[in-house]
Amino acid sequence: MSFRTFIFSLSASFGVAWLAIVIVPYIKMRALEPIAMEEGDGTNAVFIPKRAGRIADGAEVYAANGCYQCHTQLVRPTYAGNDMFRPDWGGLQFDEVRGDTRRETNAFDFAGEDFAQIGISRIGPDLSNLGRRIEAIYAKGTEPGQWLFAHLYNPRWKPDRRNSTCPSFRFLFEENEIKGNSSDDALPFPVEEGMEIVPGPDARALVSYLLSLKKDQPVPASLNFGPPEAEAAPAAAPAAPAAAPAEVPAP
Amino acid sequence: MSSQTSPTTEQDAVLSAGIDRSLRHPVMFFLTSAAAWLAVSLILGIISSAKVHSPGFMDGCSWLTYGRTQAAHVNALVYGWGFQAAFGVIVWMLSRLSRQECRASGLILTAGHIWNFGISVGVLGILAGYGTGMSWMEFPAFTWPVMLLAYFAIVIWSFVQFKVRPAGHVYISQWYLMAAMIWFPWVFITANVLLHVMPGNPVMAAGINAWYKSSLIFLFFTPIALGTAFYLTPKVTGRPIHSYSLAKLGFWSLAVIMPWAGMQKLTGAPIPYFLPYVGATATVLFFIPAFTAAVNILRTATADPDVANHSPTLRFTMAGVVGLIVMAVAAVFLNIPGWTMQLSQFSMSGYGFEILALYAFFSFVMFGAIYFIVPRVTRREWLSRRLIKMHFFFSIYGIMIIAIAAIFGGLQQGIGQEAFDQPWQESAAERAVNYGWAITISWCFILFSNIFFFMHLTVMWLRLGRRSMHPTLLVSDHGHGDSPHGGEGHIDNCGPGTASATH
Repeated sequence: MSFRTFIFSLSASFGVAWLAIVIVPYIKMRALEPIAMEEGDGTNAVFIPKRAGRIADGAEVYAANGCYQCHTQLVRPTYAGNDMFRPDWGGLQFDEVRGDTRRETNAFDFAGEDFAQIGISRIGPDLSNLGRRIEAIYAKGTEPGQWLFAHLYNPRWKPDRRNSTCPSFRFLFEENEIKGNSSDDALPFPVEEGMEIVPGPDARALVSYLLSLKKDQPVPASLNFGPPEAEAAPAAAPAAPAAAPAEVPAP
Repeated sequence: MSSQTSPTTEQDAVLSAGIDRSLRHPVMFFLTSAAAWLAVSLILGIISSAKVHSPGFMDGCSWLTYGRTQAAHVNALVYGWGFQAAFGVIVWMLSRLSRQECRASGLILTAGHIWNFGISVGVLGILAGYGTGMSWMEFPAFTWPVMLLAYFAIVIWSFVQFKVRPAGHVYISQWYLMAAMIWFPWVFITANVLLHVMPGNPVMAAGINAWYKSSLIFLFFTPIALGTAFYLTPKVTGRPIHSYSLAKLGFWSLAVIMPWAGMQKLTGAPIPYFLPYVGATATVLFFIPAFTAAVNILRTATADPDVANHSPTLRFTMAGVVGLIVMAVAAVFLNIPGWTMQLSQFSMSGYGFEILALYAFFSFVMFGAIYFIVPRVTRREWLSRRLIKMHFFFSIYGIMIIAIAAIFGGLQQGIGQEAFDQPWQESAAERAVNYGWAITISWCFILFSNIFFFMHLTVMWLRLGRRSMHPTLLVSDHGHGDSPHGGEGHIDNCGPGTASATH
């Protein structure tokens, strides 16, 4: 085999795969069309998930501190794992207003980010709906931002989280002298007299980003992979679609 | 690998010695700095692994938080140790196989310094909090063009040498090495341009990142290590490789199958459905190129059991090939959709597989190559048989524990993750802790072994090795028996009449 044939065969065998699984899907997905809500969705709007908060800044802090080493942001469909069955991962099983809001991750969920932090390992839980979870469960009735600041400062400070292996992000916080009134965001941890612990700019961006993680909006029928409502109740209860408040999967 | 007639062996010896001399500094620079980066990576690995089970360890310091040390550990391992060991082997082996002295060793040495500068900045950048958050591509974005330029400046001469070589048979090692040298920039440019320069859909970006990792393992580290093993084994045993057609089958199946692998890490993510299935299928099929090559190399190596026992090179290379077999079994076992796929997708077994590929397979073959190359380019023999043995045994036991702990611990972790009716902390998170202890302890073993290796290597570069005519073997056999490194008294393996005198 001549060197020329060798290079040609090598380029062909690699190039086909390169085109088929990298370049073409990349170009196709670059121009995702917005999806119109259809009949049955109860509205004729267009599906454009909106996220409030400092998404780009916070995602940078999330990436730079390696949160993705332990946390994922992917609620897999039931063929790929049991994520949908957890009561608070894909949404909320018992939302006070909407019932069961759980759904799979879709391609629009990472709006505002350059890189989807799908993650590589789950030493900690999935964060796709962390914002929802903090507001509705962990910090119910209190200020969610405060709860998350305290958690990032010391992940083991609550008795029920004493075994958490999450690192402390104390370095994102500052210890300041209290001048006049103390800050609204001061953390409830002991510190010298006259001083207070307040979140730094990176901690604020990160918390803003994490609280924006609420990926459980109603989705158009074409993105809704739950079983149809009518036959869902007796048969496939666990894979509850977003718009089926009556279903309660086995815990 | 055929023996040549005697009039040419004298010229061969002169030519080989000339090639070795022309490459002494680039090769020793790459190998020594690779070993230093390996030590750095292992220290970072121990710190980060300790944090998995003891989160209070070195806590609260931004430079040493888990997410940063883990990323720095893996990147230092890949670009600091893996690539530089590969560069050392590439420039030396392709010069020998093309029978050309290197005329650009100054440039290669300079480019090597630039490469080192790039990864130093990258690792410090990760630790300082400028990481990009893309696995294996965490170096700040400005480093990749620097690394790419340095890469081309290092390997381009090997292509030139190939072009001007005396016409003749192209050996299988040249196929593997040159294919890896072509695949790597293709993959590297694709991933970096698509992720850093023209970002598209963020989920597809994550898919490309997964493909990049998989491609580095299967299309760079694997062919480099296989090419090296196909060179070393016949050289040391003095026999031609077992089957040439099997070698061809192994090479082309690698080339055809492995570019498709990688995206199974995104099973269930919103990318086109066929991508994860294609990725899983290709990864499972890795056993074809792996087994064909492994059988071929092991059949060649075990033809004479004595040699395998005596030669450090062959001992390490064979251990690496056994590592390849384990890695191929793991590739099948961890990627079965609907069964182990969902357990391994987000667990430690992903890391375990990477470490199997990078250390149990690739690194062991590289150690074998280093024990072969260094005495030739420095014209000194390794100082101590005991150091080599310590290096081997601590590494082999360490890597066995890590692989078992990470792969089976990862499956345990996956089972806990899938138990959706159990609380997360008790079922999934705490299952990983004990395996984390095992991994920390075995990284300490491996660090211990490699610190001695690094010192040994540095001493060799300073040309303080033994000025002896007897190669350092694992078993003392002064005075009797043929040495696997060529006839007694010929450290450059080119003495008249030895079977391995060519090249």
